Amino acid sequence: MKNYEKFKEKAEAVSGVVKKIQSHEEALSYVENLFLEYGFKEKKLAVPEFDEKALLSFKEIFNEKDIQILKNGLRNYENGIEVGLTFADFALADTGSLVINSKREDIRFATMITNIHVAVVNESRIKENTDDIENELTKMLSEDAGYVAFITGASRTADIERVLALGVHGPLELHILVMEDK
Amino acid sequence: MNDLKKDLKKEIKESLGNEFLRKSMDKFALAYRGSHEKAYADINKDKLVLNVIHSKNSALEQMETLRSQFVEKAEKKGVKVHFAKNALEANELIAKIAEDTGSTKIVKSKSMTSEETLLNHHLVDKGIKVTETDLGEWIIQMRNEGPSHMVMPAIHLSRYQVSDLFEDVTRRKQNPDDIDALVKVARKELRKEFAGADIGITGANFLLADTGTIGLVTNEGNARLATTFPKTHIVLAGIDKIVPGIKDALNIIKVLPRNATGQTLTSYVTWITGQNEYLDDDTGKKDVHIVLLDNGRSEIASDPVFSEIFQCVRCGACANVCPVYRMVGGHTMGHIYIGAIGLILTYFFHGKNEAEKLIGNCISCGACKNICAGGIDLPNLIKSIAHRIENENGKSPFSGKLLSAVMGNRKLFHTLLKFGKFAQAPVKDSGGYLRHLPMMFSGEHNFRTIPAIADKPFREMWNEIKPKVNNPKMKIALFAGCAQDFIYPEQLKAFVEILEKENIEVDFPVEQTCCGLPLKAMDRPGTVKDIADQNLEAFDPSKYDHIVTLCASCASHLSEYPKITGSVTKAVEFADKIITSGKFLSEIVKPELSKKLSNKKVTFHCPCHLNNCVKSDEQARDMIRKTGADFIRAEDEMSCCGFGGSYSIKYPEISAGILNRKINDFLKTGAEEIITECPGCILQLRGGADKSGSEIVVKHLAELIREAQ
Repeated sequence: MKNYEKFKEKAEAVSGVVKKIQSHEEALSYVENLFLEYGFKEKKLAVPEFDEKALLSFKEIFNEKDIQILKNGLRNYENGIEVGLTFADFALADTGSLVINSKREDIRFATMITNIHVAVVNESRIKENTDDIENELTKMLSEDAGYVAFITGASRTADIERVLALGVHGPLELHILVMEDK
Repeated sequence: MNDLKKDLKKEIKESLGNEFLRKSMDKFALAYRGSHEKAYADINKDKLVLNVIHSKNSALEQMETLRSQFVEKAEKKGVKVHFAKNALEANELIAKIAEDTGSTKIVKSKSMTSEETLLNHHLVDKGIKVTETDLGEWIIQMRNEGPSHMVMPAIHLSRYQVSDLFEDVTRRKQNPDDIDALVKVARKELRKEFAGADIGITGANFLLADTGTIGLVTNEGNARLATTFPKTHIVLAGIDKIVPGIKDALNIIKVLPRNATGQTLTSYVTWITGQNEYLDDDTGKKDVHIVLLDNGRSEIASDPVFSEIFQCVRCGACANVCPVYRMVGGHTMGHIYIGAIGLILTYFFHGKNEAEKLIGNCISCGACKNICAGGIDLPNLIKSIAHRIENENGKSPFSGKLLSAVMGNRKLFHTLLKFGKFAQAPVKDSGGYLRHLPMMFSGEHNFRTIPAIADKPFREMWNEIKPKVNNPKMKIALFAGCAQDFIYPEQLKAFVEILEKENIEVDFPVEQTCCGLPLKAMDRPGTVKDIADQNLEAFDPSKYDHIVTLCASCASHLSEYPKITGSVTKAVEFADKIITSGKFLSEIVKPELSKKLSNKKVTFHCPCHLNNCVKSDEQARDMIRKTGADFIRAEDEMSCCGFGGSYSIKYPEISAGILNRKINDFLKTGAEEIITECPGCILQLRGGADKSGSEIVVKHLAELIREAQ
């Protein structure tokens, strides 16, 4: 509980949007709303890996709303994808960060070339800081190949007159959906 | 004056004339101070720095072993590791990889190491298209400039310059006031480059020996795209980036972004191991090359003095707080690497000639040492480089030798100081300033008035003013320091009067001499030690409860005696008893102040050494508040006044620029008096206030307290 509150505070301080959810379906309906709210003309949704059952239950709704599901081949969408939905392996309370194992190329693109990146993380996976995930990290990095990302807020720059601007290369917005423990 | 120095003087003049640069540097310096403080609000910085030192030192001790371990792990995972002795070798290796893979288009994410080797020039000469993708780097690449800050490479440019440049790139009108839109230009233009590139080149913040992993710390996300779109990833990294494992890297990451930009963490930290998935060809995996660069690093590692540089994590904070950098910017205050660390690295990476131009730029304020994420004694290393260059040139400046000879002999030194007052008599005015300066102080030195030597130094007044006390509550010794002894004895007198009223016995050991700091600044270690020994001979610390000085700079240097002298036990006892006048009054004496100075408006100048070295500035402010005066804090009270001892004589234009800004900042408060606790600052600030024609008075803290007593 304490970790969640701190995580939310820190993630919001770096322009993250944090919300609690009860189910994966709720995550999909959150995404559906995003398309509506932002009024995107094109409606591409990158979902390289997700709960297949939940996704299936949303198939018709997405169809109706012209939301196009992209599961792979994301590198062909260099001009951008409106929304990307992924899981996060861990979250870190003291910096408001997500830890995402992005070994798969499509997961990388879903977190890089999308305008809005939505990440789902289980509440029990919110740790206080990096000290608490040292062993898990070492394991991920010890594999033959690995691409582990700590993501804290949206892509940012202050290179022009030190004025903060979001979305220079990566996502313009980062939304984090914290799945409550059952 | 030789050509090198002439060039530097010209560059300094040009940077000082750049109004935009100055304003943005000022804004940055003030904002950085706030965000840095906030970033460390709930974490102990000293502890983090100790962890960094520990990690970096253990990496240094096992350098050879870790390097083989890293290479073995990385190669086992399919990564090709190459070694480059110097910049040219590194560039040739990378060009060869490009040639072998038939690559013609390269995207790069920001890498200081590739700036160090001038990699882009080399690749472009081979007909390869190289695009920098960090926004700042992209901008300066198109302008054919080098970075002016390690972390913010384009900080010297305005939105108008960027907007003009982007109009050329897009052939569309841009609005300079819409920075978000300018940033989106980069997003759109560069995305095409990422997608079409054959190779992505990055640097590395870490190389983890135990897993063969590279670690990248970025904000924009360009390194992620550069390591994902193209088939080939080339990493160019110095051998100093190898650390034992993830634990060490995580320790460093706790400090690096906090120190660099005041962020608790950057937007992206990426850990890449082996050949990751690549879905644009049949192999299904990326080609990864790591070029390990030495280029002087082994020499640094094996040097007993300079191996401390390996504690650097390249956060750039030493530039962020440097008063000289703030004044002139990175293109003058650095060759390729910027700031205090830049002055040092330039010597090892780019040679004596480049370093010689820069090395005198240090004002010795200690701000960089105080902020350093790796706990490096930067001013000291800068002095040592200067000394090395002098030795290599086979000569030491005449003034240094002369001063060294004079100051090693207390009697000669004090006699000369006393005679100074006769020599200046014809040019001194009634206000105690020298109106008509001798030749050496004319021209560029005309930015402040120079004080006159007092008619009677403190040491000659002592017998008359020595406090007469019965049953004193404690006994202290006074360390006078040259400036107060010979120029401002009235400050010491005021202090002694405060103590007399508080029934404290004061001793003034007359055999005491200069603290030795000016000689340290000239890197005369022999004389520095001789002087320390003379002072330790003059003072018997066991006789006193405290040894008090009214000069923050003397206090900082006297506290270092245990590191300087052979008589360590005595020096430790001596140093333990050293205390600044403000701290002494605030924490120990707590004098009774019966007069409230409530109709007096005052402000405070924090001497660099009071904050950066002895950390006793809050006690000085406490005493100001206790006088009941209307205390208005100046926005920029923490920044250097530009004195820096001999610095202001060597670089008068910069010193003058810093001083003018300070005076303007004080005038904004509407205060009648500037209170401070260092005679060097008083000399500088009074000179500047007098020249500016303002009525503002500069006083030592002791003088203000005496008035309130």
